[in-house]
Amino acid sequence: MPLASDALWYQDAVIYQVHVRAMYDSNGDGIGDFRGLAQKLDYLKDLGINAIWLMPFFPSPLRDDGYDISDYTSVHPNYGTLDDFKFFLAAARERNIRVIIELVLNHTSDQHPWFQESRSSRDNPRRDWYVWSDTDTRYRGTRIIFLDTEMSNWAWDPISKAYYWHRFFSHQPDLNYDNPAVRQEMWKVMKFWLDLGVDGFRLDAVPYLVEREGTSCENLPETHAVIKELRRRLDESYPGRLLLAEANQWPADLRAYFGDGDEFHMAFNFPLMPRMFMGLKLEDRKPITEILQQTPPIPEGCQWCLFLRNHDELTLEMVTDMERDYMYDEYAHDKGMRLNLGIRRRLAPLLDNDRRRIELMNGMLLSLPGTPVIYYGDEIGMGDNIYLGDRNGVRTPMQWDGGWNAGFSAADPESLYEALIMNPVYGYQAVNVQSQRRFEHSLLSWMHRIVQVRKSTPTFGRGSIEFLYPQNHRVLAYLRQLDRETVLVVNNLSASAQAVELDLSRFKGNILVEMFSRNIFPRVADLPYLLTLGAYQFYWFRLRRI
Amino acid sequence: MADENILSDDLLRQLISVGEVDILVGLPTYNHAKTIGHVVQVIRDGLLTYFPRERVAILNPDGGSQDGTPDLVRAASIDDARNADTFRTLRTLHCVSSQYASSPSAGQALHIVMASADLLRARACAVIAPESSDILPDWIDRLLTPIYREHFDFVAPVYRRHRFEGILVTNLLYPMTRALYGKRIREPRPGEFGFSDRLAAELVESDLWRHDAGRLGPEVCITMATLSDGLRVSQTFLGAKGHLEQQSSDLVTALRQTVGPLFWSMEQNGAAWTGIHEVQAVPTTGPEYEVTAGAVSVDRKRLHQMFCSGVVDLEPVLRSILSPTTLAQLQASATLEDDKFHFTDELWVRAVYEFATSYHRSVINRDHILQALAPLYRGRAYAYLTENSTASPEDLEERIEALCLTFERLKPYLLELWSAKERDS
Repeated sequence: MPLASDALWYQDAVIYQVHVRAMYDSNGDGIGDFRGLAQKLDYLKDLGINAIWLMPFFPSPLRDDGYDISDYTSVHPNYGTLDDFKFFLAAARERNIRVIIELVLNHTSDQHPWFQESRSSRDNPRRDWYVWSDTDTRYRGTRIIFLDTEMSNWAWDPISKAYYWHRFFSHQPDLNYDNPAVRQEMWKVMKFWLDLGVDGFRLDAVPYLVEREGTSCENLPETHAVIKELRRRLDESYPGRLLLAEANQWPADLRAYFGDGDEFHMAFNFPLMPRMFMGLKLEDRKPITEILQQTPPIPEGCQWCLFLRNHDELTLEMVTDMERDYMYDEYAHDKGMRLNLGIRRRLAPLLDNDRRRIELMNGMLLSLPGTPVIYYGDEIGMGDNIYLGDRNGVRTPMQWDGGWNAGFSAADPESLYEALIMNPVYGYQAVNVQSQRRFEHSLLSWMHRIVQVRKSTPTFGRGSIEFLYPQNHRVLAYLRQLDRETVLVVNNLSASAQAVELDLSRFKGNILVEMFSRNIFPRVADLPYLLTLGAYQFYWFRLRRI
Repeated sequence: MADENILSDDLLRQLISVGEVDILVGLPTYNHAKTIGHVVQVIRDGLLTYFPRERVAILNPDGGSQDGTPDLVRAASIDDARNADTFRTLRTLHCVSSQYASSPSAGQALHIVMASADLLRARACAVIAPESSDILPDWIDRLLTPIYREHFDFVAPVYRRHRFEGILVTNLLYPMTRALYGKRIREPRPGEFGFSDRLAAELVESDLWRHDAGRLGPEVCITMATLSDGLRVSQTFLGAKGHLEQQSSDLVTALRQTVGPLFWSMEQNGAAWTGIHEVQAVPTTGPEYEVTAGAVSVDRKRLHQMFCSGVVDLEPVLRSILSPTTLAQLQASATLEDDKFHFTDELWVRAVYEFATSYHRSVINRDHILQALAPLYRGRAYAYLTENSTASPEDLEERIEALCLTFERLKPYLLELWSAKERDS
C-alpha cells in the first residue's frame, strides 16, 4: 500500500519511539545521527513497526534534551543536516515506515531568537510573542509541573526587567498563543516539515498553550481553538497527515482534545498507562477496567495512543494520592527512581526483568484499543541508570551488540553522549540486539512475533472493545470486534495459575483459535467457557464459526 | 459426615475466583437482614481504611436465610462489574456468600470459614458476629493487625459490658479457662476474634467439628485449642457489645454452647492444661473500656426459686455428679431464706470442677450433666447479683479476681478428681 493512501493509517500503526541521538552514530562522534538512524531502518522494519516517532532533533541548547528549541526549521548539528534528515525520510518511505516528528508548541528555549528579541525591549515587535508580566502574581491557580526544580511558573528576566511565564523549566518561556502572529508562525513551522514529507506531529505539552486569569491555565477553550485552527489548516492542505496530542490529563479532559473529530487524530492515554502497572502489581484488573470505563468514547476516526514507557518518567499525575503512594512503594522503593510526580525507569527494570510480565504488559499494549508505541530498547529489555540526572537514565545508547560501545558508536567511550548501561543484568554485553537475534525465544524474537500477530488483523487497531467481567478479578478479559471478526483476549495478571469461567454464551458454537499457534480450543457450548492460565499468561483467540 | 465436602461446589467456584488473599473476614449469618447491611459496610470500611493494599475478602456462610441476608452481603462487593465509586480503593473486594445448610450451625459456618481461609492462604482472618450493631471500623484493625503484622495466632476480644452482663463468662468461663490454661483470656467464647493461617490450617482438619461441642460452641473449642497448643495469643478491647447471653434463647442452650465445649476441650487438651500451674497476662491492645454501671432487669427472685427447686428435683442426678459434701452444701443453701442465701466461691468452684470431671467420666448422659448445671448456675448468679448489687465496677472486678484465684487454688482438687478418673479407667 503506498503511503498516504489510507487516511486512517495511524489506527493500524505500530509506532517506535526513538531519539535520533540514541539509535546509531554513523560518524563516530559519540552521538547518534540521521545517517545512523537510516542504517537501522531495516532493523525496525524487521521488528514490524510501521511508524517512527522522532523526539525533538532541532537546534537547541539541550538543557531539556531538545525540548528547548532554538530553531524550528533546522536540524541540530549533532544529528546531521537537513539533507541528512531528508535522506532518512526517503529511506523510511522506501520501507513503508511513516515518520512522526515532535513539535514543542508551548514554549521555546530562552536562546531562541524570538525570545532574545522579545526580551530585548518592551517595544520590540516580538515582545508580545511571549507572556510577560510586571508581577509574579498572575495565574495563581496554576500548578507547577516540575516540582523538583521550579518554585514558580514565573521567572524574572533581568534584561527586560519583567517576569515571563513558563510552565516547564525557567529556561523554556511559554509562547503567547493569544497573538495571531505566533499562531501563524507555528503553522509555518509545521508547513515546512509537512512539505518535506513528514507524516505527522506529536505536539508536546498542548494543554498549556493559553493562559487565563482565574483558571488552572490548562485545557482552556482558547487552547482548543488553537488546535482546531491548526487541524483545519492541516486537513485543507495535507490530508492524511496526523496530529498526536501529548496531554497528560484525566480522561474527560483528555477526550476534549479530539474535539468533534476536528482537533487531534490521536492522543496518548496517560491515565491508562500507570494503571496497567498498578493492575499487574495488585494482580487485579480493577484499575484497568475502571479507568477505561470512565474514558468517554472518542469520535469516529480518532484513536488512542498507548504506551508502556517513554522518554519521560512514568507519570503519576493522573492517579489518586493513594494510588501514587502505592506505585512509589512498589515500583520505586529507591528514592533515586523518583522524579517529579513519577518514576524514571525503563520497562524491564520496572518489571524486575521478569520475562513473563514483560510479555504480558506488551500483550496488553498491543491488544487494548489504541495504537501502540514501543520505546526504543524496550523490545530487547534494556535497563536504565538511575544515577544519571533528570530522565537521562532511560535515554542511554541503543545496545546493538556486545562489542565496542555496544555497537552504537566507534567513538571513544568517554565521548558518548551518555554512558552505556554496563551492569551484569542489563549491560550491553548481556542485553543486545545481536545476541537476541540469534535465539528464537529471545524477547526481541517474541516482540517480532507478537507485532506480526497484531498486524494480522485490523481488529486490534480499529475494533470495538467489550469487557467481560469474570468473577476472577485477576483475569482481564475483553472482546475486540470489527465487522464480523471477534477476538477474545484473556490476561492473567497474577503471579500464580488461575482458572476462569467466561460467559461466551452468545458465541455458542464458535471455536477458539489461539492466534499465536493457530491451535484450536474447544467449541463454546452452553456452560461458561473454562480456561486455565499460567502465571502472567495471556491468550489471544480468534472466534470462528465453523 | 467424614465423607462430606466442607465447601459446596458453589462456594468453591466463588473461592476460585477470589484466589489467594491476605485477609479474610468471616461473617456467618442466618436471617440477619436487619443488621447485616450495617455490619458488612463497617467491615468494608475497616478493611479499606486499615488494609487498603492487601488482598481482602468477606466470606458469608449463610444458614439458609429467608430474608435476603446474602444479597445484602454481596452488595458490599467492590468490583469493576458493579461500577461502584471505586477510585478510593485500589483493589477488588469480594463479598462471597454461600448457603451451607437449610438451618444454621455455628460449627459448620466456622468450619467453612477455617477451610476457606486455609484454601485461600489468608494470612490473617477475623470472624465477626452478624448482629454486632456496635461494630466500628477499628475492630477490623484490632482483630487483624496483631495477626497480620505482629504474628499472633489468635486475638480474643474484650468487650465493654454492663457490669452484670456475662455472668456465665465472669463466673465460669473466664476463671476456669484462666485456671486451666494459665492465660487471662476474658472472653473464652468470643463473638468476634482473629486468627492466623497457622491456626486455620491446624483446626480445619481437627476432630472438633464432628462433635456436638464443636458444632454448638466452636468458638470455645477454638479458644481452648489455641491455648493448649501454646500459640501466640493476644486480646484487644473492642468496646460495647450488647447482651451476649441473650443471643441464646435459654440457659441450657447457652450451657451447651459454652460449658459443654469447655468440658469437652478439657478431654482433648488434657496433656496441656494438667501441666500448667502459673497464670500469665495476655498482651492486650486498644483503649481499655470501663465496665458500665446502671440497672439491669433480672428476675432475681425467680433465679432463687429455680435454684431451690432444681436442687430438690434433680437430687438423683446431682448425686451422680457431685461429691456428697458438695451436694450437701448445695442442699443446705437451697433451704436458706432469700436474705440469708449464700453461694460461696469455693462451693461454686468445687461444684464446677466436679461437673467437669463427671462430664469427662460420662457418669450419665453428657447433655443431662449440662442441663443439671443450670439450677446451680442460677443459684450462683442469684448470689452474685445479690451480694454485689451495690458494688462499683472496680469492686466487681476485685470479686471476679478473687473468684479466679479460687479456681486456681482449687485446681489441684480438679487434678485429683481427673487423675482418679484416669486411674479408674
